[in-house]
Amino acid sequence: MALTSVLITGGCGFIGSAIARALVEKHPECSITVVDKDPPGAMHVVPSCVSFIPADLTSPGEIREAVLRVRPLVLIHTAGLVPALRDRFGRALESLVWNVNVDGTKHVLEAAKEAGVRAFVFTSSCCAVTDDTQAPYPYINEAWPTSRSSLIYGESKAAAEAIVLEASSSTIGTCALRPSVVCGPGDYQLLPAIHACIEKGETPYVIGDSLNLWDVTYVTNVADAHVLAAENLISSKSAAGEAFFIQNNEPIAFRDFCLAIWAHFGHTPPFQVHVPIALAWLAGLISECLTWVTGSTTTLSRGSVKDACSVRYASGEKARRILGYEARVGIEEGIRLSCEDYARRLGVELRSTAGEE
Amino acid sequence: MKPSEWLYFAVHPSQLRSIIQWKVWHNPVHERNETAEPETQRVCFRFLDQTSRSFSAVIKEVHPELLLPICVFYLVLRGLDTIEDDPSLPLSTKEPLLRGFPDILNRNGWTFDGNRPEEKDRNLLVEFHNVITEFQNLKPPYRVIIRDIAHKMGNGMADYCIRAATEGLSVLTNDEYDLYCHYVAGLVGEGLTRLFVEAKFGNPGLLERPGLHNAMGLFLQKTNIIRDVREDHNDDRHFWPKEIWSKHVDRFEDLFRLEHREASLNCSAEMVLNALHHVDECLFYLAGIREQSIFNFCAIPQSMAIATLELCFRNPAMFDRNVKISKGDACQLMLDSTQNLRVVCEVFRRYARRIHRKNTPKDPNFMKISIACGKIEKFIETLFPSQTAEDARRRVAGQTSVAEDAKRKADTETRGDMVFMFGILFCVVLVVTVMMIGTAWLMGARFDLAFQELRQGNWPTPINMPPGRLRHGEL
Repeated sequence: MALTSVLITGGCGFIGSAIARALVEKHPECSITVVDKDPPGAMHVVPSCVSFIPADLTSPGEIREAVLRVRPLVLIHTAGLVPALRDRFGRALESLVWNVNVDGTKHVLEAAKEAGVRAFVFTSSCCAVTDDTQAPYPYINEAWPTSRSSLIYGESKAAAEAIVLEASSSTIGTCALRPSVVCGPGDYQLLPAIHACIEKGETPYVIGDSLNLWDVTYVTNVADAHVLAAENLISSKSAAGEAFFIQNNEPIAFRDFCLAIWAHFGHTPPFQVHVPIALAWLAGLISECLTWVTGSTTTLSRGSVKDACSVRYASGEKARRILGYEARVGIEEGIRLSCEDYARRLGVELRSTAGEE
Repeated sequence: MKPSEWLYFAVHPSQLRSIIQWKVWHNPVHERNETAEPETQRVCFRFLDQTSRSFSAVIKEVHPELLLPICVFYLVLRGLDTIEDDPSLPLSTKEPLLRGFPDILNRNGWTFDGNRPEEKDRNLLVEFHNVITEFQNLKPPYRVIIRDIAHKMGNGMADYCIRAATEGLSVLTNDEYDLYCHYVAGLVGEGLTRLFVEAKFGNPGLLERPGLHNAMGLFLQKTNIIRDVREDHNDDRHFWPKEIWSKHVDRFEDLFRLEHREASLNCSAEMVLNALHHVDECLFYLAGIREQSIFNFCAIPQSMAIATLELCFRNPAMFDRNVKISKGDACQLMLDSTQNLRVVCEVFRRYARRIHRKNTPKDPNFMKISIACGKIEKFIETLFPSQTAEDARRRVAGQTSVAEDAKRKADTETRGDMVFMFGILFCVVLVVTVMMIGTAWLMGARFDLAFQELRQGNWPTPINMPPGRLRHGEL
């Protein structure tokens, strides 16, 4: 069966727009509709052949109407709320995040069933497993359990994923993709936060042994995985009811990821101070108190300390075996492209020596 | 030991500890029985000692079944090497000798004295008939393997010599570099692997994946090429591929100039990166070895190699002199390489992390090196997972594992034992007290009077200690 029509929720966002672009490239004959609460903007380019329907995830009526109007063969549900770093470790946004990520997913899934959608691809997150910061996650695979009590984002993704996977049936095939942290053109969270450390003079401070490995995924690779999953669900359906970790499969030390980004912007830490984890945790606590008093934002908190020191990388074996997914853009090139894009947005020249032959 | 060494060990006691531990605790898995050896064998082992200081010790501990085959194999290759290396031999002499080496192994009493006097292994060829005699005493399958490798390597070397004479001696591309290393080391890996499998000491699967034993050889050879760059340059021999060095310096000799130090460090880092790509295949290979002495034989050079790479990585000294891992480190590495794969993996992880720590974003290959180190860690994690999905599931469900349950049970038992012991102790004290008081009572002690006194507040006061004295403690 050919990929004739696809609807992408969150299609004007970072990942959603990348999927739209990947689809246009690989399946030019496919009719694509993006559903988003905001129209396509300059940051995330949506190809002109793609139609747009405005709808809010938290409004079941709007979503139902949009999906029923298109009646697509495949629905890719990427829309979701990723709390910013400062809200990631708190509970302040819990009901909002739950409302968008869990209830929103329910609305989309109901609408999809009603519209006779055959394939439902859900953009979950590795956080469904790894937000439970109690343990390290070296080379984990899909046999690892999702956690019901972690951070608000991970909890919401774990719950939504369970609902989606449970719905898989002979009429509608569903699967969940769990990308790791994503970087790429249009990234408004990860790279800007790391880049901001230069300005704040935070780059010399190294927490822990700084060799903990992380998975990072370049955005077009995530998009590729979604297209592959959609193709699978309308053909062999071997991915139905399954979750997949998606990443570049090149785990790197988080510190090195930061150093590479800074190097692209011409910055090398002038010296390095190794901060023991316990001390950093304390500093995070103090920083949290200060920001609470002053009302400013900070990159340093107990949660971000734990994040920076944790080991999180997964096996890409299942995605390779079932979806045929392999990262087409390597992480080194991915970081370079991300930095070039962010430099354009900032209007600065890149030094661009690091990472080049 | 020289005084300087004493001083060194005084500052590095852990190095001394490793040396002592190795000397005291290392027992060879198999020891060779020297008394029963015929003369030709003894000559072979003498040559082994002379030609290879580092290898001879490991070879001599190999299982008796393969001891001689490996020794002869090594000497045959060394013989080839001595012909190829000698610049005084004309190509017209060299080529037929190299290509005809498999036949030479059949010729009883063959010797060769055409090498220049300063060639260090000249005597090996002068007395080569001993090696030939021993070769012919080997089991036929071993002979086939050794002859086949001698054939392949001899031809490879001959081709290389012709190319050197016509086009000049330089390694241009990375592929040529790999091919060169394949001829001088990858083939050794192939020969040894076939010997191991023939003797049932290795998983036959090792032969189905030729990439694995090739990697074993390439990793060692590349490490030597990186470490010996200064020495080779002095002898006007260059093995670093132009594809790599030309990215960093314009002329190869610039690598040794102080004003290009940063560039040469980046260049050597790229060479190390090139070698690191073989690590996971080497570890995978070691997983296929089934006999302890063979495992040691394979693992020791590999551990030494990763340690040497770490030593060379971003070390400017390697361009000035020959760098070497310290004796203490070498002993520690040998201790760790003569146990099992898990310990060897620990060694690799340790050194990969050290390389990782020395990596700097100023290096153009910063990301690639970081990814290569990450890949090694990830590979070791696949061999020896530090946790399982079952553990994770139990943790999330708030349950405990069997091991934790057992530990808790053991803890409870210990506590029970403790209470029991104290109970017994208390009983003994009680019985003794009762007996003493009872005896005193039988003998007429008046406890009633003693109680009465106490109740009136008449506590016994210390004798010879008038209160006044206490205030003058200084007396």
